[in-house]
Amino acid sequence: MAEQTIDPQQEAAEASPAAGLEMPPERRRAAKTHAGLLSATAAKVAAELPLSADVDDFRRILAAEARQ
Amino acid sequence: MMDLEQLSARAVAEAIRSKKVSSVEATRAALGRLAAAHELTNCTLSLDAEEALTAAAACDAAIAAGKPAGALAGVPLAHKDMFDRKGKIASWGARIRADQPATQDATVIERYRAAGAVQIAALHLTEFAFGPTGHNYVLGHARNPWDPTRITGGSSAGTAAAVAYGAIPAGLGSDTGGSLRLPAAACGVTSIKPTWGRVSRAGAMPLAPALDTIGVIARHVEDLALMLGLLAGADPRDPAAVTLPVPDYLARLDDPVRGLRLGIDAAVIGSAHPQVQGLLQRVTQILERAGMVTAACRFPDWQTLDHLVQLTQMPDCSAAHAAYLRSRPNDYGPQVRARLELGHFIGAVDHLTALRARGSYLRRTLKETFKDIDIAILPIFADPLPTIAELDIGGGPTLQAAMARVVKFTRPINYLGLPTLALPVPRAGGLPNGIQLVGRPFAEAQLLSVGRAYQREVPPEVARPLA
Repeated sequence: MAEQTIDPQQEAAEASPAAGLEMPPERRRAAKTHAGLLSATAAKVAAELPLSADVDDFRRILAAEARQ
Repeated sequence: MMDLEQLSARAVAEAIRSKKVSSVEATRAALGRLAAAHELTNCTLSLDAEEALTAAAACDAAIAAGKPAGALAGVPLAHKDMFDRKGKIASWGARIRADQPATQDATVIERYRAAGAVQIAALHLTEFAFGPTGHNYVLGHARNPWDPTRITGGSSAGTAAAVAYGAIPAGLGSDTGGSLRLPAAACGVTSIKPTWGRVSRAGAMPLAPALDTIGVIARHVEDLALMLGLLAGADPRDPAAVTLPVPDYLARLDDPVRGLRLGIDAAVIGSAHPQVQGLLQRVTQILERAGMVTAACRFPDWQTLDHLVQLTQMPDCSAAHAAYLRSRPNDYGPQVRARLELGHFIGAVDHLTALRARGSYLRRTLKETFKDIDIAILPIFADPLPTIAELDIGGGPTLQAAMARVVKFTRPINYLGLPTLALPVPRAGGLPNGIQLVGRPFAEAQLLSVGRAYQREVPPEVARPLA
């Protein structure tokens, strides 16, 4: 029996949370493009973030401001 | 009878307490005005006339018996239809709703009820509070009371339209990307979006909890102060509600504004339409005449903030709707559906990067932007008020860009979690618009005192269609 191969693009599509959404191709393309634009900003921001940054920093700063 | 449509909630409460008008009379009159406002603007989703009149009669009886009256005793109010009310199902402006009636009131509803307010209706919102224009493809678009061909702004469209019309003096809304400020500006009224965490969200429909903020829309700044004071404060039902003591906003309304520094970020403001820049300049001049001093300031890169808030918001919204988007996609309107789909394309790493960076951007804003200023002034809309038809673009390819333009000046502030007061510009006979004053965290009292000084020069108006 021939060994089954997995198409990486197919695998990525199946793994995507958007895979099962009923969307016309042009809307899917537009959403991907927009998400790509945002992702580029995220990469730039991530490069400047210290490893110690965490999601609770925002609330810590608000709490510190509240104490002032 | 008194001209109730012009009065603030505070003044209506005083008139009821002193028996110049009964709560039943005030409530009947408000129901009548709301019916007229609805015909013009489509602002109402459901009426609670019978229940409201019963509550109003009980309030009148309590006052007649000399029982202590709450700060809003007998005052007819109505709110955006996204808050739990015991025994009722909120519409959320949508076809998809909770399948069981709420078992208890949202905290904000409970606090107004405890203060004696009478809720007369549940008001229009953009579907799932997820849209900045007042378009609602499921329940019908809201129309502006100054010009019914124009947008109301969203998502708290019904509250702003009903308040502007004078049907009610004030009401609740929410703001995840501009949903208090945009309708306040479009309808020519005021709003307060408090610091994130200042007001409990328990029992409010979640849109993007990391950003969701409950606030008030009113014609009179004194009502924002009164009503925020009743709402704010810790709540065991919402762990994000801060325990910081609540200032007496009303007592601080007349704090001096002379010498307060008003920050102007010319680069950010420069991307607004020239007409909007001109309106902002007029408001700045009024605030200068009140004694404020202008100074230059600079926000972190605005486009980066705008991308970070989208990376925060979109997956948050989409996660809540993921199952229904698959099982009932056609029950969503086209705009909301397309925007909810988008969040599925944003990766978890990018979403978490935006959340991890949020503290650092807030810290930088406080250290740099607010270094030499107390309050920043920004536009709300980038452009003069659009028509409903101009933005009737469904879920088409221009949707993201068009929506991005509408929320250009509002949603980055949600990422920073800062408090914001919306003020209407002087109309000079034209269409309404507004500006926002942005303060440091928990500086709501300062913002409100500036708003009060502003309204001495630019008094509140009741909206009627322009000739």
